[in-house]
Amino acid sequence: MTTTAQTSDPTKRRHILRRMLPARGPSNIVLGIIAIVWLVPTVSLLVISLRPEAAFGVSGWWKALLDPSSLTFSNYRTLFGQGFVAGGLLDSLMTSIEITVPATLGVVLFSCFAGHSLVFGRWRGRDVVFLTVVALMVVPLQVALIPVVQLYRELGTLFGLNPFGTIPGVIIFHIAFGLPFGIFLMRNFMSGIPKDLLEAARMEGAGEWKVFYRIVLPLALPALASLAIFQFIWVWNDLLVALVFLGGNVHTPLTVFLYDQNHELQANYWIISTGAIVSVVVPLIVFFSFQRYFVRGVLAGAVK
Amino acid sequence: MSGSTINAKIRTSGRRPWMREHAISLAFLVPAAIWLLFIVIWPTINTVRLSLFNESATKFLGLTNYKTVFSTDTILTAFRNNVIWVLIFPFFVTFLGLIFAVLTERIRWATAFKALIVMPIVFSTTASALVWATIFDNSPQIGAVNAAVLTVSDWFNPPGAYPVSAAAGQTVADLVGSNAHAKKSSNSIVSISSARAGGTINIGLEDVSPTTLALLKAQDAVTPQPMSGAITGVVWRAFSPSDPTNKSDVLPGELGLPILHLSLVNSQGVSVATTTTTTSGQYKFSNVGTGSYFVEIVSSNFSSGFTGISWLGGGSITPVSGLGQTAQALLSVPLADMAMIITYLWIWAGFAMVLIGAGLASLNREVLEAARIDGAKEWQVFRRVTVPMLAPVLAVVLVTMIINVLKVFDIVLNMASGASVNATPTLAVEIYNDGFTGGIHSGVSSAIAVILFLLVLPAMIMNLKRIKGV
Amino acid sequence: MASVVLRNLTKQYSGNNAPSLEMLNLEVDDGEFVCLVGPSGCGKTTALRMIAGLEDVTSGEIEIGGHVVNDLPSRDRDIALVFQSYALYPHLTVADNMSFGLKLRKVPKAEIEEAVQRAAKILDLMDLLKRKPAQLSGGQRQRVALGRALVRDPAVFLMDEPLSNLDAKLRVQTRAEIAQLHHRLQATMLYVTHDQVEAMTMADRIAVMNLGVLEQYGTPRELYNFPNNQFVAGFIGSPSMNFVSMRINRDAERVYLTGMSADSNIKVTLNDEQSDILRKSDGSEVVVGVRPEHLIEGTIDDTGFSAVAKVEVIEFLGNDEHIHATSADTDLVAILNAHSSVRREDSITLSAPHDTVHFFDPASGLRLN
Repeated sequence: MTTTAQTSDPTKRRHILRRMLPARGPSNIVLGIIAIVWLVPTVSLLVISLRPEAAFGVSGWWKALLDPSSLTFSNYRTLFGQGFVAGGLLDSLMTSIEITVPATLGVVLFSCFAGHSLVFGRWRGRDVVFLTVVALMVVPLQVALIPVVQLYRELGTLFGLNPFGTIPGVIIFHIAFGLPFGIFLMRNFMSGIPKDLLEAARMEGAGEWKVFYRIVLPLALPALASLAIFQFIWVWNDLLVALVFLGGNVHTPLTVFLYDQNHELQANYWIISTGAIVSVVVPLIVFFSFQRYFVRGVLAGAVK
Repeated sequence: MSGSTINAKIRTSGRRPWMREHAISLAFLVPAAIWLLFIVIWPTINTVRLSLFNESATKFLGLTNYKTVFSTDTILTAFRNNVIWVLIFPFFVTFLGLIFAVLTERIRWATAFKALIVMPIVFSTTASALVWATIFDNSPQIGAVNAAVLTVSDWFNPPGAYPVSAAAGQTVADLVGSNAHAKKSSNSIVSISSARAGGTINIGLEDVSPTTLALLKAQDAVTPQPMSGAITGVVWRAFSPSDPTNKSDVLPGELGLPILHLSLVNSQGVSVATTTTTTSGQYKFSNVGTGSYFVEIVSSNFSSGFTGISWLGGGSITPVSGLGQTAQALLSVPLADMAMIITYLWIWAGFAMVLIGAGLASLNREVLEAARIDGAKEWQVFRRVTVPMLAPVLAVVLVTMIINVLKVFDIVLNMASGASVNATPTLAVEIYNDGFTGGIHSGVSSAIAVILFLLVLPAMIMNLKRIKGV
Repeated sequence: MASVVLRNLTKQYSGNNAPSLEMLNLEVDDGEFVCLVGPSGCGKTTALRMIAGLEDVTSGEIEIGGHVVNDLPSRDRDIALVFQSYALYPHLTVADNMSFGLKLRKVPKAEIEEAVQRAAKILDLMDLLKRKPAQLSGGQRQRVALGRALVRDPAVFLMDEPLSNLDAKLRVQTRAEIAQLHHRLQATMLYVTHDQVEAMTMADRIAVMNLGVLEQYGTPRELYNFPNNQFVAGFIGSPSMNFVSMRINRDAERVYLTGMSADSNIKVTLNDEQSDILRKSDGSEVVVGVRPEHLIEGTIDDTGFSAVAKVEVIEFLGNDEHIHATSADTDLVAILNAHSSVRREDSITLSAPHDTVHFFDPASGLRLN
C-alpha cells in the first residue's frame, strides 16, 4: 500500500487537522476556564479538609486560599491519630484494601483463564458462551442482591459459614459482577494474538497449560493491567454492595464510612472531607501511574 | 507422516492427548462459569421468582407486587426521576464530550486537560456527591454556587438596609405595628398625616432588629426643629423598655433609623423628592412647594434581595399547573435532580470525551478535506461530515450512559437530604430502601429490580447485535 | 477552464531541515493535461495540495485563471481534487456524494439532478447511485470520486495518484478512461503519480520532480529523447537507461573513451559531434547512457556503443525478452526480440548506434550536448 509520504508524516497530519478546527486562541481560553471549573470541586474538598473544624460554615473555603497560613493538617492528625479504632478512618481504609485487592486479583485471574478458553480453546459453543458474557455485562447488580443474600444464608445453614456480613461475602459478589467485563476485555485482546504462535508451541509439544502460561499470559499483560486498574477503582468506589453486605458491620470500607458520616445528625464536614480525600488518594495514585492503561480500559469497555 | 520413528514420538505423550488438551482449555472456563452461574445467572432468575412472592417469600402473590409498584407514590416518583435522568443526562454528557473532544484537538496541553477531566471518574461517586453537596449548599458561607449567585444578584438587586425576610415569617406590616403615624401601603410605609412646608412628620417603627441598628451604627433619635420651606422629621425605633406602650413620642434612649430612603409624596401620590435619614434618624426635604405632602418609607428598604437558590431542597420546576396533584408531582422536575445531574456530568464528561476523542482521531482526514474543497465552511464540515461520521461512537456513548443512569444510586443517597429525599429517589434507591432497610424484604424490591432489568434489556439486545454483526 | 501558474513556490515544514518544495516554477496552459511525477518524497503531492489550498504556502505564488489564490480558502478556488484514497463521504449515497458540493452552493435541485445524471452516465455509475461507498468495489469508488469532481465543473481538476489503489488491469483500463475524459472535456488537469508509464501515456507535458526540485518540464517525447540530466534519463522509460562510467582521454588529435577497469569490454566510439562535446567538457570522467530498447544483439555499422557481456538472467515477456547481462563489473539490461537464441551464460555482443548514446557529467548529472 503506497501512502503518499507527505500525508503520513505526523507533523503534516497535525497541520491538516489544525486548519479545520476553531482557532487556537479561543480554544485555549475556553478550555482553560473549563479546566479551572473542573478542578474547583476537588480543590474545595482539599481546602475544607485542611481547615479547622470551626471554620466550616462561617466563611467560604475560598477565603482560605487568600490566607494559606490558615491551612492545617489538624484534621488528618486527629483522624489518623485515632489509629485503627473500629469504624475509624484508618480501619475503613484497611477494610477497603481488604476488599478491593482480592476482588481485583480474582477477577483478573479468572478472566484471563476464561478469555484464553474462549479464544484458543477447541470446544464447541464458544460463541454462545461469549454472547452470554456480553449479555451479562449489562445486568444491573441490584437484580442479584437479595437472592445472593439468601444463598449466603443457605451456605450458613449447610456449612456453618454464612458469608453475609463478612468481607469474603463482598469479595465473592464483586468478583462475580466484575467477570463479564473482564472476560469481554481479555477475550477481545487475546483474539489479537496470532494463533500461529500457539500452534508453533503446540507443535513443539507444549500442553495447554504451558501454552497459556508461557505464551498467552505474557502477551496479555497490557490488557491485564487495564483490567486490574479498572476493576480496582470500580470496587474501591462501590457503595451499594458494601452497604447491603456490610451495612451494620463494625468494619466497613471507606465509601460506607463516608456515607455514615454524611447521615449522622450533625454531618461532620471535617471528617467527611478528610475521609473523602483519603479515599480518593489511592485511586488517584493508581490512575496517574497507569493512565495509559486506564484509558485503554475505558475504550475497550465501550468500543469493540 | 512417514517413518515409524516419527509415529513413535507422537504416541509417547499419552493415550488421547488432544482430548486432554481439549478438556483443559474447557476447564479454564470453569471457575468463571461457576461464579457467574451462582452469583449472577441463578440469582437473576431467582429475583424474578421472588418478585411473585410476598415480602418474606412465603406466599405466592402473582403480580400483586407489580401492582403495588405502580401504585406507590415513592416508587412512581422514582420512575419519574429515572425518566428525568435518562432524558437529560445522556444527551448532555455526549454533547459535552463532543465539545471537549473537538476543542482538545486544537491545543498543545491536550493530555493534561484530558487527565483533568477524566479524573473525577476515579473518585467514588460517594466522595463526588459529598463534594458537590457542599458546593450546592444553601448558605453562601459554604456553597460556592450560592456565593457566586448572590455576589452577582446583590450587585443588580442590592438588599435594603432593613431586609424583611419572608422566609423568617416577617412582613412589612410588622414594622408598622400599632402605629398611629404610618400605615402600610403595598410594600412601603406611608405617613398617615401630611405636612406643608415648614412642617414636621415623625414616624416611629416597631420590630426593628437591634443587630441591624448596631450594624448601621444607629444613634439616639433626635427630633429636629421645623424649618421654613422644608419638611423635616425623624424616623425612629419606637421601643423603650421604660415606657413600652408609648409609640408616639420620641423617648430618650430610643434609636433613630439611619440610611432609610424616604420619598416625599404629594397629594396626587406622585413622588417629588427623595432623601435619606441620618444616623440619628433625621431627614430633611428642602425647598418644598405648596400643598400638603406625605412621607413614604420606600419598599426598597425592606427588600431582602435574592437569598440564593435552594439547590438541594425540595423545590421543583413545575412546567404546567392546574392538574391533579399526582399528575402535577409527576411532571415537575426537582431542582435537586438538576443539581445531581450537574454533579454526574462533572464525573462522566471525561468518559464521553475520551471515547469521542478516540473516534475523532480515527476519522479519515481526507474526507474532511474533500468536504472543504467541495465548498463547505468549517462549521458545515463539522455538522454535515464530522458528526455523521462520528455517529457510531456517539451512539455507543449514549447507550452506555443511558444504562449507567438507569442504575444511579450513590449520588442520590449522598446528596439528597431533608426535603429533597422525598423528591429525588431513583429506582435503584427504592430497591435498596424497600429491600434492605429494616431487614430484608424481597417482594416489592425484587419487582422493581425486575422492572429495572427489563428497562436495561434493549441495551443488552443492541450490544449483542453489534457484537454478533462484527 | 483555466491556466495554473506556480511562481517560486516553496514549502518548508517547521520540523524538517530541508524544504519539501523549493522554488517551483511551472505553467499549465488552459485545457492542458500535466503530470507531476517523481519518487516518494519529491514534493509532487505537496505541490498539488498547495494548489488545492490544503497546505499553506511558505513563499511563492499560485495563480489559477490569472488570479493569485494564495489567500483563498479551498472552497473559493474553483478546483476539484480526486484523492488517492477517494475520500468519499461514508454516510452518504453515491448520488449524495456527488451532489454534496452543489447542495452547499445552493444550486437548484433540478440542476443538481441533471449534473449528477450527466456525470453518472459518463462514468457508468447509473446503477450505483443509491448505494453507499461501503458497498462499492475499489474501481467503482474511484469513479465516484471522479464523478464528484466532474459534477463540480471546476476550472482545474487535481488528481492525487488516483490509480494507485487499483489492481494492474483496472489501472490500465481506467488510465484510458481518464485520458478520454480529458479529451472530451478539454479540461485543465493536474495529475500526480509516481508511475512514469501513467505520465508518459496520459500527459501533454510532464514535470519530473526530485527532492523538492523540478528536474525537467516538457512533453513526453522531449523527456524521452532529450533528458536534461541523469535523473530524468533514468526515471523515464522502463527498464531504466543503462549507465556506464567511462574515462575521457583527450589527445591532441582525438578524444576517446576508455573503460574504468582494465578488463572492460565496453567500447564507445565517438562521432565528430560527440568528440567536440566531450573535448569542451570539464572533468576526466563521463557517464554514458544507453536505453535497453536501443541495444541490439550483435554488431552494427554505426556502432556508437558496444559491449561484450555474459548473460545472467533472461526475462521472457511474450514478444520481448529482457536480458540482464554483466560486462566486467557493469550490469546492462537489453530488450531483445523473444525469437533470439540467447541463453544463460552465453557471451553476447550488445550494440547501439551513435544517436542513441547519451553523455552525462558525473558531477552535476547534466546531459552534455
